[in-house]
Amino acid sequence: MALLELKNICVNYGAIQAVRGLDLEVHSGEVVTLIGANGAGKSTTLRAISRLLKVREGSIHFEGRDITGQAPASVVRMGIAQSPEGRQVLARLSVLDNLELGAFVRKDRAAIKSDISRMFQLFPRLEERKQQSAGTLSGGEQQMLAIARAMMSRPKLLMLDEPSLGLAPLIIREIFAIIRNLNAEGTTILLVEQNARLAMQHSHRTYVLDAGQMTFTGSSQELLSDERVLHAYLGG
Amino acid sequence: MTLAQFLQNMLNGISIGSVYAIFALGYTLVFSILGIINFAHGAVFTLGAYFTYSLAVGQFGINGLLSGLNLGLNVPFAVALLIGALAAGLVGVLLERLAFKPLRTRGGDSLLALVSSLGVALVIVNAIQYLVGAEIYTFPSGVFGDIKPALMFQLFGQTVVVRTVQIIIFTVCIVILAVLGYLINFTRLGKALQAVAENQTTASLLGISVDRMILATFFLSGFLGGVAGTLVGTSFGIAGPYFGVTYGLKGLAVIVLGGLGSIPGAVLGGLFIGLAEAFVPPDYSAYKEAVAFAFLFIVLLVRPQGLLGRSLIQKV
Ligand SMILES: Nc1ncnc2c1ncn2[C@@H]1O[C@H](COP(=O)(O)OP(=O)(O)OP(=O)(O)O)[C@@H](O)[C@H]1O
Ligand SMILES: [Mg+2]
Repeated sequence: MALLELKNICVNYGAIQAVRGLDLEVHSGEVVTLIGANGAGKSTTLRAISRLLKVREGSIHFEGRDITGQAPASVVRMGIAQSPEGRQVLARLSVLDNLELGAFVRKDRAAIKSDISRMFQLFPRLEERKQQSAGTLSGGEQQMLAIARAMMSRPKLLMLDEPSLGLAPLIIREIFAIIRNLNAEGTTILLVEQNARLAMQHSHRTYVLDAGQMTFTGSSQELLSDERVLHAYLGG
Repeated sequence: MTLAQFLQNMLNGISIGSVYAIFALGYTLVFSILGIINFAHGAVFTLGAYFTYSLAVGQFGINGLLSGLNLGLNVPFAVALLIGALAAGLVGVLLERLAFKPLRTRGGDSLLALVSSLGVALVIVNAIQYLVGAEIYTFPSGVFGDIKPALMFQLFGQTVVVRTVQIIIFTVCIVILAVLGYLINFTRLGKALQAVAENQTTASLLGISVDRMILATFFLSGFLGGVAGTLVGTSFGIAGPYFGVTYGLKGLAVIVLGGLGSIPGAVLGGLFIGLAEAFVPPDYSAYKEAVAFAFLFIVLLVRPQGLLGRSLIQKV
């Protein structure tokens, strides 16, 4: 059984059809990449899974349960976390507050503490700035905070919307190493990336979206050498 | 002005100003979360006063449905204040569900929320009048138990009077401010409220139920309104169902003066207006109400964003 299963979902913004009949599955233990041109509907898909957007048609199942009608807060409680596009840190709150709020759905205080120290190990720059308000961090630091915060809920499914956006190449490598580590520790990951090649190299399977519909899907390995994908999305 | 008079005015001003502060915080909390002014806050203030009166005194007058009724509960004042405030908090919750949520979920303009909260305020005021009439209700002097009604001391041959009720008001307000400050800055609930105030979408991605936080906000707001109503009622009497209208307007002056959405601003603004009123000479006391607005006008000319600018729920 798939951990996450989207069946024929359609999502609109008013009259604009952003996602049109998308089928997508993520299995436990996988890293799945979602790529596509600007405006293809990648972020919309993640927002629909997080229940921020109404699904007009189709259904979303998580661990076999229909979550199509659930509220955003309850899907987080069920184990789906998202680091949204454009970071969205809580600018007026401190770095530490942001991380603690990432664990809002958890009650295990001791484990939360140790997870925060673990985040500080992964992102030492955040530790140096833990009392600073998040709005004063650099763009890259805010990105790290958004990722760390999403991990703080110990999700079963972690969704990252363009985690590499605006980061220096060295940091991007670090982020992908962290993604690989998290996955090795058992977190399932759904990754949206502009940096398609890197994302595919770090994932098991890939979906290619175009104008709200899926055009290709398959193992990342295979798609990396597929002429059409190579040509359209990998600049080859 | 003699030193004794000055001191007397300071005491009077700080006491009433602290009530203005906690009352105005009720507006501030809702504004921080929803960006709207709850025009029914003055009516909740009035209800809080009547709730506490019913519990602690419970003797009704000659008008209204409850005329001649004596509840005779004689609940101790502190308990009555608490229950009255909790009940006012629940009214706040009802208010959100009846007047605000339906418009919000339909994406209505915030101007509509203004009108619907005014509508609810009118309903509350009329219901009070229907039940207990429009007469003045005062808390008997013995309501605090067997303690002296006032302390007097001499200063250079002049008398300064500190009414017991002023001490009680000030103490209650300080305790409430301290608890509220702690709640907002140091608890899980407070952090979640700050998150919702800053960005509702981000807050819900963290698993915070925005709907529940809005309810919590209206509860806190109603609670503060209820306490303020009771305190003013015990100090000056409950002047009738429209009792809260003037205070409602004064509360608006306080938050605009302090800076919309700013918690420290509401406290500062409350004290400011309380003190300003206290220093109005007795011959002009009929114009006391105008003082708040005169101040507001002057401050806004210099600082349109209010004394402490516009910042949403922040560190107290
Ligand atoms: N809030 C909105 N209101 C109206 N239309 C929107 C809104 N958000 C997105 N859209 C439209 O929906 C479509 C899909 O947008 P989406 O953000 O999902 O794209 P994306 O694949 O994430 O693109 P990018 O790579 O640029 O982030 C686009 O045509 C976009 O213009
Ligand atoms: Mg996007």
